Amino acid sequence: MEPLNLAVIVKLEPDFSEGNVSYKPDGTLNRNETKSTLGPHSGIAAKAAFYAKVKYGAKISVCSMGPPFAELALEQAQQTCDADVLHLYSDRIFAGADTLATAETLRTGITDKMQGKMDIVFSGHRASDGETGQTGPQTAWKLGFTFLGNVISYDVNLEKRTVVAKCLLTLNGVPNVIEEIEAPLPVFISIDPSYKSNYTTVSQRIAFEKYQKEAYERAKNYKQYLKVFNIDELGVDKALVGLAGSPTIVYQVERIPKGKATRQAEVLDGSNPEHIRKAVAKMKEALSAMVIK
Amino acid sequence: MEKYDVAIIGGGSAGLAALKQLSTLGKQAVLLEAGEKVGVKNISGGILYSKKPNKGKVYNVEDIYGQNFVNEAPLQRKITQYLLHATSKDKVFSMDLTAAHEYQSNFGYSVLMNELNAWFAQSADESAQKSGGGIVPGVHVNDISWDAEKERTTIQTDEIDEFQVKAVIAADGVNSEVAQITNARPKFSATQLYQGVKAVVKLPENVINDTFAIRADSGAAHLFAGDITLNHLGGGFLYTNRDTLSVGAVYHFDSLLDNPTEPNTLLDALLKNPMITELIKDEVPVKGEIDKTLEKEKQMQIRFAVIKLIKTWYEIRDVHLSSSRTKEMIKTGKFNSEDEIKSKLSELREKMSSEYGITFKTDYVEDEYGAKLIPDGKRCRMKKPYKNNVLFVGDAAGRGIFVGPRIEGLNVGIDDGVRAANAIARALEKNNFSQGYLGEYYTKSIEESPYTKDMKEIDKEYLKIFIDATKDVPKDVLSAKHSMVLKLMSSGAIRSMAAKFVNVLGYERLLPVIESEESYVKVPIQLAERKGKTVSSSYTPSIPLLADRIAKLNYNDDKVSHIKVLTSDNDFMRKLVTLCPTKCYSEEKGKVTIQHEGCIECGTCSEQTDWKHPRGEKGINYRYG
Ligand SMILES: Cc1cc2nc3c(=O)[nH]c(=O)nc-3n(C[C@H](O)[C@H](O)[C@H](O)COP(=O)(O)OP(=O)(O)OC[C@H]3O[C@@H](n4cnc5c(N)ncnc54)[C@H](O)[C@@H]3O)c2cc1C
Ligand code: SF4
Repeated sequence: MEPLNLAVIVKLEPDFSEGNVSYKPDGTLNRNETKSTLGPHSGIAAKAAFYAKVKYGAKISVCSMGPPFAELALEQAQQTCDADVLHLYSDRIFAGADTLATAETLRTGITDKMQGKMDIVFSGHRASDGETGQTGPQTAWKLGFTFLGNVISYDVNLEKRTVVAKCLLTLNGVPNVIEEIEAPLPVFISIDPSYKSNYTTVSQRIAFEKYQKEAYERAKNYKQYLKVFNIDELGVDKALVGLAGSPTIVYQVERIPKGKATRQAEVLDGSNPEHIRKAVAKMKEALSAMVIK
Repeated sequence: MEKYDVAIIGGGSAGLAALKQLSTLGKQAVLLEAGEKVGVKNISGGILYSKKPNKGKVYNVEDIYGQNFVNEAPLQRKITQYLLHATSKDKVFSMDLTAAHEYQSNFGYSVLMNELNAWFAQSADESAQKSGGGIVPGVHVNDISWDAEKERTTIQTDEIDEFQVKAVIAADGVNSEVAQITNARPKFSATQLYQGVKAVVKLPENVINDTFAIRADSGAAHLFAGDITLNHLGGGFLYTNRDTLSVGAVYHFDSLLDNPTEPNTLLDALLKNPMITELIKDEVPVKGEIDKTLEKEKQMQIRFAVIKLIKTWYEIRDVHLSSSRTKEMIKTGKFNSEDEIKSKLSELREKMSSEYGITFKTDYVEDEYGAKLIPDGKRCRMKKPYKNNVLFVGDAAGRGIFVGPRIEGLNVGIDDGVRAANAIARALEKNNFSQGYLGEYYTKSIEESPYTKDMKEIDKEYLKIFIDATKDVPKDVLSAKHSMVLKLMSSGAIRSMAAKFVNVLGYERLLPVIESEESYVKVPIQLAERKGKTVSSSYTPSIPLLADRIAKLNYNDDKVSHIKVLTSDNDFMRKLVTLCPTKCYSEEKGKVTIQHEGCIECGTCSEQTDWKHPRGEKGINYRYG
């Protein structure tokens, strides 16, 4: 049986966690002062690919388009999914790309620069710093792969070479509709944020521990696994990438107006008994409306 | 269904030793541990011993993990000083028991279980994977079933699919569920158990060296008896780690039931003793008052800045006051020189006091509170530590040594683990897992262990060390009964005879005389009062409230309670309101109820409740253990 060949597309994003993010006085993101990290949705995509490594011993390649320091995202993705190959497509010309141009860059990398034919390509559901949720579907379309969106779990039938995926559907008024799809490989899977890997047997758990350790060791030396391609090395059509390849025109960005605060906050000091009394009184007041059984 | 040769249930030091040994013998074994990582559930005092008994062989930690163990494992300090203190208020009478500590031992290191078991796990897992096995954390075993006809043993868990094995090692600790599932033994009762409670205190490496007058590579163990016990049978301990101290107390569970006292109060009694107060003291920053007239935002900013500064101060000071960490930091290029660290620290200090009104005072810092039951092997070791093809090891088999100040469970569990592994390896070769071939063989091996002898008999040589250490004790503080025993035991010839006599009579029968209020409480108090030195403390330690201690612990909450109250209105349950170390029990209108969220899985309530460990990954996660 052919081993599975997987790719994951990931993105470096601002780290919105406390202590790492910085805003300008007008409330917009201060990109220079904000640290970067593997996007959380990309992280989930890497986790989903890792599932196939644990369960089927799949080979995993991770790629990203971004500035040279985006290798950080690849390092972090490797730590999550024990990737065997890391690709960074990095060139000034790629800057300013919209999702379609990004998809072209990634597609070229996946089809021309990665070894063998891909069985499954994974992407995150969206990004945390821009509306780039189409990158996945567009890459799928360019690859000519069946697209499965909002996937919350999946399994592969290695003999039949099909994938069975559960997808979360949003239907008006009906919560949590789950659609099960069986599709022949190759497929493109965009992972739902609620995705969770389930390792249900001893052998899977042991493999999980083993590959996780391996991933940790590999990520310490991630440069050994990393290949950086500029536009010539990638051999992509210049007209289809970067600003030139981006049909999107951002006409205007409107700031979301700040909602009027209807609540008033007051800072209380826990070491001040007077303040504690005040807080207790407030709580009592709030609770008095409830019936306590 | 998947099939494996051996399942080991529980990844404490005993289970891990079994896994390492089986794997070294080339046998396939999987170890299932409920904690999210190996180590987070384990707690000990703890001194890890390696022993060299005069007669017979024990399997020591370095026999299994390699002769380089001492250099590679995360050991804290080699204990070179072992003292027993009798206390009464501010009086302390000290005896040097280093000879007892060194008795038949290669070494004794202070250890913290989280990191030590994680290290054991790494080593055992590497070997296990080579034989097709490994460690599976985050999985809680809930049942074992047998199909005799098909010669099948099936392991069931809360998290993963059931699987089949040929033999099982139960290393699931003092509150063993496997013992209940298999009906191998009843739950341990109060007379067979001790309750241990412990705090890990932070103290920089060099401060420890100075306070205890020890070298950086050596350590001290201090034991306490007398009024610090608040009239319970047992005593306190204080062990030096590299840059923390383990301070705790261990008491007979039945003496706690006779006179219920909160475990945290027992711990506090220890911390308030002036001698201990002086041993744990450090310099601690105190936040200044924030000017309330400032704008709210400004006040907030100051509050955050203060938290950050204090955190950084601790970090740099820990480096500054540790020769090894200073070297490490210079090597990694984080700092250029010792002087740079020093000036950084004083700069920081200056900023803290001048800009933020932070002051410094003498106090101590507690980092982790914990508790656990400990089985007393003299009273509860399983005489036949098996059922069907399941072998019990370590605390699960009730195998702990308690003789005077000697508490040994780690080394005993490791020895058991190797013996169980050897017995199973032999059974695998003959494919014979019958009770006769496997269980009885293991029982015989355990019986041959010198540790079992220590649980059964008085060792007259060990006794002599005590008698020698008590040469300064005025004989009239002892009752007639005790002083006669002492007189008799002091003579070599009679000691031999008397010990033989006692051993024929049965050690258990003599225990109430040895382990009595007189020896743990009254004699030490009198000793301290009559012969002790006065120790005064230079400050009053700010001992945290129980709520603060619990708030510092790390839990992975489970909505479902792992403990069910069976009877809510008996005496035992009512006493739990006091005896649960984290106050999970409360009584209202004569009915006792449980709030399981704060449970630290000590097992104190296990005897009369439906008690299980939490599901995989859930519950308490100790950082030190
Ligand atoms: C305060 C105190 C001081 C002590 N001092 C010393 C000392 O100085 N020297 C010394 O040698 N000993 C000392 N001991 C004793 C020693 O710590 C114990 O004997 C030893 O830790 C027991 O190891 P174990 O592997 O048998 O059990 P444990 O360490 O309790 O390990 C049992 C493991 O099994 C897991 N488990 C339980 N049930 C299940 C299940 N159903 N499924 C999956 N996993 C499960 C648990 O999560 C746990 O990790 C002390 C103990 C205490 C509490
Ligand atoms: S609930 Fe029981 S097991 Fe949990 S901490 Fe309290 S006494 Fe210990």
